[in-house]
Amino acid sequence: MKVTVRLYGTWRQRFPGYEPSEGIEVEVPEGATVRDLVTLLEIPEPRQVVVIAGGRVLKAEDKMQRQVPVDVMQTIGGG
Amino acid sequence: MKFVRVNMTGGTVDVDGVPQDYAGLGGRGLTSALINAEVPPTCDPLGPENKLVFAPGFMSGTPLPNTSRISLGAKSPLTGGIKESNVGGTVATALGRLGITAIIVEGQAPQGSLYFLRIDETGNVSLIPAQEYEGKRTYELVDKLLEVYGQKTSVLCIGPAGEHRLALASVQSSDADGRPCRAAGRGGLGAVMGAKGLKALIVDQRGRSADPIADPEAFREAVKAVVKMVQADHMSAEVMPKLGTAALVAPVNAMGAFPCYNARQGTLDGWERISGEAMAEMIQERGGNPTHMGCSQCMIHCSNEFVDVDGRFVTGSLEYETIWAMGGMTGIVDLDTIARLDRLCDDIGVDTMSTGVGIAVAMDAGYKEFGDAAAALEMVEELAQGTEFGRLLGSGPDAVGKHFGHDRVPTVKGQSIAAYDPRAMLGHGVTYATSPMGADHTAGNLVGAYLTHMLDPLNPEGQVATSAFLQVAMAAYDTMGQCFMANVALLSPESFAVMSKLIEAKSGAQLEADEFPHALGRRVLKAEREFNRKAGFTEEDDRLPRFFYSEPLPPHNTVFSIADEELDGVFDF
Repeated sequence: MKVTVRLYGTWRQRFPGYEPSEGIEVEVPEGATVRDLVTLLEIPEPRQVVVIAGGRVLKAEDKMQRQVPVDVMQTIGGG
Repeated sequence: MKFVRVNMTGGTVDVDGVPQDYAGLGGRGLTSALINAEVPPTCDPLGPENKLVFAPGFMSGTPLPNTSRISLGAKSPLTGGIKESNVGGTVATALGRLGITAIIVEGQAPQGSLYFLRIDETGNVSLIPAQEYEGKRTYELVDKLLEVYGQKTSVLCIGPAGEHRLALASVQSSDADGRPCRAAGRGGLGAVMGAKGLKALIVDQRGRSADPIADPEAFREAVKAVVKMVQADHMSAEVMPKLGTAALVAPVNAMGAFPCYNARQGTLDGWERISGEAMAEMIQERGGNPTHMGCSQCMIHCSNEFVDVDGRFVTGSLEYETIWAMGGMTGIVDLDTIARLDRLCDDIGVDTMSTGVGIAVAMDAGYKEFGDAAAALEMVEELAQGTEFGRLLGSGPDAVGKHFGHDRVPTVKGQSIAAYDPRAMLGHGVTYATSPMGADHTAGNLVGAYLTHMLDPLNPEGQVATSAFLQVAMAAYDTMGQCFMANVALLSPESFAVMSKLIEAKSGAQLEADEFPHALGRRVLKAEREFNRKAGFTEEDDRLPRFFYSEPLPPHNTVFSIADEELDGVFDF
């Protein structure tokens, strides 16, 4: 299934040509987890990735949902 | 190690050693201990009995990076309680290099008179009449001062708001480029400075009389360890230099905790236009600088130089909290307007956060429409003019609410909340309610715990313990003069051990195992709470405004749900 991924922070710089208004479409297997998605995105610091959908921070083992876009962000401790 | 006592009533200056009671303290630990010991808790914050204390951190002026914070302490005209507000820039390092532990400003200059307090490179202290600078805004003032005293000069100053003694008045600090764009914004300490008759503290940066380090070799080794830890931290090394604190707009909004339209919603329509990503791109395109070093000895560079469409400098470090207060809370989704509001606040000398919230309260009450940029700019300008509305806004969000008969005022102890709604991030509500400072995100910010799954922001479990831990740790780090960005990278037991080594190497004293941060942070908080109790505060003051308990916040539609008894137990140590 296809999942729409919106990238934030400095992750965008790792995807040349990234268009914020569109995000990117990622093909994931049925039942794929957040961990699987992060692996597919090939972000070298997976522990720094925060995935948010529906207002909640997802856990690594949470499953991706059809037609639910996810926001891929970074860990920040405040400011 | 020197205390500089300045009596504004008689115009005298005394330089003495540091009393034993304050040994090993700097920054917040020192300002809070001294205010608690010497200021009558029920005094008029704007009267001669109040004292304004400037204390660089215990580590400021040493080779330890990111220690350029100076704490300002006094009884607050905004909260009526003890206040510590710290700020970066260059002055903490300059004072550290002069071996000055604290400057204590007492008394009150004769009405209508205005002074500079200057410390030259040899540590000589003098009061200089400054009548001709009356009413000057901070950018013009600092330009002039650097012209007179040279570029190697650090300035802490007030603008017209401080002279008007407005409860939202800030003390502005010159940054690494000599711009007064960094603020000790919270709690109205600019009004205390204005009431003393002090327009600026001017410090030469070329001092060569820093306190000796007892064990330089051990200190150097511990510094190397801290540098490694900060460099290894993703936020400090990757996110802050490229996006600054504005990087928080996206995640906090995505979590439905970005209070907007005076905290009526947790997500902002059009938030992408004021995000950190949008700002960094805009600054880059216009030829500004998204990665700026604002403070002495900084290795993070979270600051930025925001420029207009023609590439001209508008303001320095446009921060998350300002973007929220001036953009989210007011519904003004335009970075250029927010940057102009930030510049105006710095120039007039007011806290961007409580000012933005005051404007939002007025808008929510129907005085102006949400999103009305021209009205917001005009309201802030009125702070400088000292008009009736300007004085109302400058008295704080509570005063604005009372004036308009509007009870949706997001403050605790009179100070506005920050950019995390306590209904969608419960732990922030714990910190806001219980911090002796009033609502203050830097006192114990849990957003990192939420983003890393340590805690669920909507589940009451664990919120009190985490807020308490962070409040203790931050009180200790604020004593060191360490900046918040570095603190976030240094919250592990290993980091605390390295900080303990640094303190021992600097002071030559042996610390108890529990001293940093736990015992130290607890002592600081106890002193602050003791002052507040004597000033008349009770447990009832450690509560959020009622609407946070009764009005659900979209999109989660939750309310603040931590019981009063739990709040009362935060400082049971």
